[in-house]
Amino acid sequence: MKLKYLYIGVIMFLVGSGCKKEFLNVNTNPNALPTATPAYVIANALNTTAANMVSPNETGMYWSGHWSQSNGYIISTTLFQYQFTNGDFNYWDNTYDNLYDYKFVIENAAAYNQKYLKGPAKVMMAYNFQKLVDLYGNIPFSDALKGVGSLAPKFDDQKAVYEGLITLLDSAILDLKSNAFEGTYASSDIIFKGSASNWVKFANSLKMRILMHQSRISGRDAYITGEINKIVAEGSGFITGADVGANPGYVASAGQINPVYNTWGYNENGARSATNNFPRITDFTVKALLATNDTFRLKRFVYAPGNENPAVPGVSLNPEIAANYVGVPFGSSAGYPVPATCAIGPCLLIKGVFNKPLIIMTAAEVQFCLAEAKQRYPTVGLTGTAQSYYEEGVKQSYRVLGADVTKVPALLTSGLQDADFVASTNKLNAIAYQKWLAVSYFTGLEAWTEYRKNNYPATPQSKNVVGTSRPLRLFYPGTELGSNGANVNAQGTIDPLATRLFWDVD
Amino acid sequence: MKKIVTSLVVALLFFAMATTAQVRIITGSVKDEQGTVVPNVSVQVKGSNTTVLGNEKGVFKISAADNAVLVISAIGFNSLELKAGKLSALNVTLSKKVNELENVVVTAQGIRKKSKEIGYSYAKVSNEEISVGRAPQLTQALAGKVSGLAIYTVNNSVDPAVKVILRGYRSLTGNNEALIVIDGMQTTATTLALINPADVESVSILKGGQAATLYGSAGINGALVITTKMGAKGKLKVSYSNATNFEQISFLPEFQSKYGSGSQYYPYVFGDAGYDPSSANRMKENWRSYENQQYGDAYDGSMRIAGRTLSDGSKLVIPYSHVENIRRKSFDIGVSTNNQVSFQGGDETSTYYMSFENQKINGIVPGDKSDRTGVRVKSSKEYGNLSTSFNASYTQAAYNRTGADFYNDIINTASWVDLTTMRDWRTNKFANPNGYYNDYYNNPYFNKDINRLNYKDANIQGNFDITYKATPWLSIYNKLGMMNNSRTGKNSVEKFTYSDWAKNSATIPAPWNRYDDYPGIYRAISDVVGGVSDYSTTENVLNNEFQLRMQKDLGMFENKLTLGYSVYQRYTKSISVSSSSIVVPDVYNVSNRQGNLGGGEANTTERRFGYYGDLSTNLKNMDYLNLNITARYDATSKFFKPTRSASQYKYLYYGAALSFIATDAFPVLKSKYLNYAKLRASYNKNGNDNIPLYGLDLSYSNGANFPYGNQVGLSVGNTLPDANLKPEFVTSYEVGGEFSLFNNRVNLDVSWYKQNSIGQVLTVKIPNTTGFSNLLINVGQVDNWGYEADLKVQLLRAKKLKWDVNFKYSYNDNKVVALYPGITQFAYGGYSYATSNVILDGRFPVLKTNGYYYATDGSGMRRVNSTTGYPVQNTALTERGSTLPRHMLGMGSSVTYGDFRLSFNFEYRGGNVMFSDLGRQMTFTGSGKWTENRNDQIFANSYYIDASGKDVPNTTVKVREPEYALWVNNYRLISENFVCPAWFIKLRDLNLSYSLPNNLVKKTKVFSAANVALYGRNLFTIVDKANMFTDPEFSYTAGNGSGINNTGQTPPVRQYGFNVNFTF
Repeated sequence: MKLKYLYIGVIMFLVGSGCKKEFLNVNTNPNALPTATPAYVIANALNTTAANMVSPNETGMYWSGHWSQSNGYIISTTLFQYQFTNGDFNYWDNTYDNLYDYKFVIENAAAYNQKYLKGPAKVMMAYNFQKLVDLYGNIPFSDALKGVGSLAPKFDDQKAVYEGLITLLDSAILDLKSNAFEGTYASSDIIFKGSASNWVKFANSLKMRILMHQSRISGRDAYITGEINKIVAEGSGFITGADVGANPGYVASAGQINPVYNTWGYNENGARSATNNFPRITDFTVKALLATNDTFRLKRFVYAPGNENPAVPGVSLNPEIAANYVGVPFGSSAGYPVPATCAIGPCLLIKGVFNKPLIIMTAAEVQFCLAEAKQRYPTVGLTGTAQSYYEEGVKQSYRVLGADVTKVPALLTSGLQDADFVASTNKLNAIAYQKWLAVSYFTGLEAWTEYRKNNYPATPQSKNVVGTSRPLRLFYPGTELGSNGANVNAQGTIDPLATRLFWDVD
Repeated sequence: MKKIVTSLVVALLFFAMATTAQVRIITGSVKDEQGTVVPNVSVQVKGSNTTVLGNEKGVFKISAADNAVLVISAIGFNSLELKAGKLSALNVTLSKKVNELENVVVTAQGIRKKSKEIGYSYAKVSNEEISVGRAPQLTQALAGKVSGLAIYTVNNSVDPAVKVILRGYRSLTGNNEALIVIDGMQTTATTLALINPADVESVSILKGGQAATLYGSAGINGALVITTKMGAKGKLKVSYSNATNFEQISFLPEFQSKYGSGSQYYPYVFGDAGYDPSSANRMKENWRSYENQQYGDAYDGSMRIAGRTLSDGSKLVIPYSHVENIRRKSFDIGVSTNNQVSFQGGDETSTYYMSFENQKINGIVPGDKSDRTGVRVKSSKEYGNLSTSFNASYTQAAYNRTGADFYNDIINTASWVDLTTMRDWRTNKFANPNGYYNDYYNNPYFNKDINRLNYKDANIQGNFDITYKATPWLSIYNKLGMMNNSRTGKNSVEKFTYSDWAKNSATIPAPWNRYDDYPGIYRAISDVVGGVSDYSTTENVLNNEFQLRMQKDLGMFENKLTLGYSVYQRYTKSISVSSSSIVVPDVYNVSNRQGNLGGGEANTTERRFGYYGDLSTNLKNMDYLNLNITARYDATSKFFKPTRSASQYKYLYYGAALSFIATDAFPVLKSKYLNYAKLRASYNKNGNDNIPLYGLDLSYSNGANFPYGNQVGLSVGNTLPDANLKPEFVTSYEVGGEFSLFNNRVNLDVSWYKQNSIGQVLTVKIPNTTGFSNLLINVGQVDNWGYEADLKVQLLRAKKLKWDVNFKYSYNDNKVVALYPGITQFAYGGYSYATSNVILDGRFPVLKTNGYYYATDGSGMRRVNSTTGYPVQNTALTERGSTLPRHMLGMGSSVTYGDFRLSFNFEYRGGNVMFSDLGRQMTFTGSGKWTENRNDQIFANSYYIDASGKDVPNTTVKVREPEYALWVNNYRLISENFVCPAWFIKLRDLNLSYSLPNNLVKKTKVFSAANVALYGRNLFTIVDKANMFTDPEFSYTAGNGSGINNTGQTPPVRQYGFNVNFTF
């Protein structure tokens, strides 16, 4: 009998011993990589940063008064009645996700001997955090991106974040100057192709953007002028004559063409996107441009009603005469059908041109930042005059839009308000107006920021809204509220129509 | 040593008997009254100690003298005394005991137990109960038949999505679905859609943790143990069955029938000079011939153009009036047929069963169909102590469905356009996209025709069993189960290029033209470039169970011990290739494309092995008290890394169950009122490797759309795994009782259970500001508890009339006791305005939506804007209630009168809420009945806040534009309007059958039995008055975030048909 149990034991042992540890060793993910090098991560991060701008730029185009919608769709109550919730406009989650990739690059650059990627990663971090502040105000900054190190990141005061970004850019410039790009990995830099000096110029330009956003805050002058003088002292200058844009190497294949072109224009096969029907230039913008005889830019902004001629890409089907251009009163819900109004024009959409870089900052914007700086703080060490920066800004705007640059002098000497700098009675308004125009279409979020900061030009309220309130910021997204509730609630009650950002003084 | 002794005793007995009488070997074959084999009978020579056991085929051999009396008994049957006589072969028929509680049942891992030994809740559904409604899928046939078992048909189509939940949810983000075991092999839910319900002998439902401990982690949510039919000894029996089935929409949302095409075209804004104060006049301005929305003026019967003039100058001019029942008529009546043949037979040592099935289904969405063909073979053979059997099935199924949102296309069609004339878009110029009236939504029939999902499933599955009876008390058993499941599919979109006329020239002639007309059909802007996606997935499962089954008395104890060793491996692979364009029309191959080839691959392998033991024991002479102890030690690859310690991937768990037959222990309790009483209790702790595959690693994958040519871009994964992840544990407690009353005519089974699930492997939503969106960690606690009661009553037992009723009630509740510190809730998903959520201290999932502001006085008045009169949206998402039903009640009955039998089953589920996005869509289109009041009005039951901040009941402020903006821009956005109680009552199945009388059948000399039946499923459904939308069972997902439905689910259907069965 004992023997029997022994048998049983032996059988069980024999059968059971078939499975050793090795049997279980099948738990290595065959579908994803176990690690990544910073050079590959930054390529995607840069592309993602650019692609993430498409939607906030669109919203910015509406709320800055540049675009309304055609009536081929029912009126968007989120955009034109400002009926939105913390479930709408979530530009938060994807930005922090993107930011972590830059953090990864910064933390791993040394280990992979790719230290030259640290500088660009820091510049892009600053770019993204600046976007977040402009959309949400106080945000997690110092406590963010720590993984399990801080599972409920604390929020930093928006002003402190802005100051922190200047410091971050300083550190980026130091990194860029001390680590030369290695040629092999220059292709990972899908913005400047490994030009450290361009990255430094971009960093300086971004500093100007951040500083000039704060220009209307009283008591901030000393800080701003001090920082501008530091930029001047650094000496690398700003991006000039060319814009900052990302191009991962767009190819005519699904999902791999310029996302702006894809969203508003055509797909990779040349079929027009249905969403081409949605955005329409406002009658305010049309009239404003006509008032300064600025038809050259109007024709670049939008196609005449009837849209692009499929046979002659880049040109309207119907005659491009000023009288033909029809804008939609902002927020109109009826009376402006698709073919009767002006769709996005050749500055962004030319059929077949799917591989232009996706611009994240224009050279024109920098010039207007400099113009405003010089106008407000004549003592800063910038070498040009407010007028020279202003005029260069208009020229850069023409250039990036593809308008005829030779027509610029006529505008600048027209004697018209907000066109001719000398003739303009309010120089800051002229700068604000021209900047509002120059940053539109490419960086619509900046256009909204300018509008919120300057309240100029005075674009009309949505026809679908009772009262005068306008969106001043976004709700913190529901995803953050649900998982980091205490810190979100510590920011107080957010009313997007009333809670102002720190640089939005009135 | 003992073996020798035993043999000696037998030999001695043999010798002793041989000297007294003529002793022969008698072979007996035992069947029940229905001719089904009765296995494991016990045969005793009366007055002696000679007892033998029959085998599983109902055959016994015994040595007995001519004059001996044999006492033949089997559990669940009345024992029978027989004179041995001179025959050497006996055919014995046993009659069933009325009290069915003594049955031997198949429990986890195929271990047979007497009912009295089972210390936990257990249910069994027989083939008869399954086949009542002739459901095309097995799972649907189980709905409402077992307490605690909830079958959710979350989407009905020709390939319905079904989920099987036992005793509610216990895992927050992991799997909550029951394990499916077919003939001992652990499979996956995919096979449920493929198995022929007629092949199923019975389904055992192991509800609790104890029942399923032996299946390891996979059994944590309970198990459905399916036993397929087996041949019986006897001559060949051939059965043929045909069922023809019709499927019809059972109910649709409520549609308005007063208004036709139109949208907000009225050119003046409120307050403008020229603004017309009459909503009727504005409605007239809003009418458009080409609108998808239905906010035009009221139907007046006048002749109006639908759409625009066609290139040949023709116009579709039709009466502007409601076409009765047009939405219903836009769908088809589904027809399906099921044909099957089975063969079964056997002899002394072998059995076989073979079946063929073909099922063709045509759904209610025109053109949707499926076709399933399957074969199953099951056979066994005995060679002395060795018995072997195998069971194999092969099923092919093909599905052809639309990928378009047909339902949504239908509700975007105004009711004056007769869609029944629009089916043939290839030849009917008004139905063709170049001429179809609707500017914004294409012809539903065009959309559904050009978007096709075609896929084929093939499932081959086999079990191979060997049992060797080494000694009378020890059997060695091995089962090898293997399965290969594959799906190959092709999704295609047909290419369509619009004519230049449609794009640029189609116009609206007078008198139907309007001020803002433009030439060209709006939707013609985008040609349909076509596309194709081709994919295949394959799944290989291997499951081996090795067992030593022992039955031996040790001292005072009678023991049954099973020791087992289990190996499980599952491998999957899927590959897809796709193209987002088609160059040459109608050729659906990815090579026929422009641009890059899309696609990807995914591979998984998971492995587990485990040791387990199951001991049933009781004291001799005290077999009314049984103790059952189970334990299992598992190792899983899902938590394995060479660098991790064994305690992180190996885990032990165990349980114990006690059953006590009070009526046996204290016979005085027995009376004609109380015949049987059993009390039971169990406790156990189950381990679970419920972690997403490869969840231990932070992964790096290609960034969106990368690589661009040679440009590589990678991204850091978003789910951060905790370093200390380990399997989670669920502790279950259960007590219950089973009672037979009034001469066994009333049976009652009640249970209470509680499950604590601690340290779940949870995908916690963490703030994205951490750099990650999710954290995978052992965290939290969920309690899940409930009551169940099954009552079966034999109401009537007359000579020809039998009437039974039964009730199954279950109550289930759960509570999220703990979540990750600092996190109080997270959402599963849904829409930005309606989500299903996990909320700390609450029941999950919980529906949250935006809604109204209510007056502070509690009157229920809803806030409106004091200027516009429109309701004000409270954008905060507010809890609306749980989406998981609390109460489920099944009620079934069957009446047999002679050769007629009528049976039916009702099911009620309730105590939960749902959100219908369909309602929101129907408000957008203006097709919903609730949008019918478009005259000047004050928003009902409303208040506003006056200048001083006081709440004032609204009796003065009318809504500005009740003809449009009220509904589309205001009411639609308040999701609370589309939340409703989700209770329902369904007549799950109804069956009236007639068996041809035996004498009549025999006369045919061809048939041995014949039966015809009329049946129906879900013949009627009753829902809450506020539920104007759809079947509350529907959900946009089969995952845990239930309770939100949309137009992705076609309308609920009822099915009815007739069925004939012949046996030859």
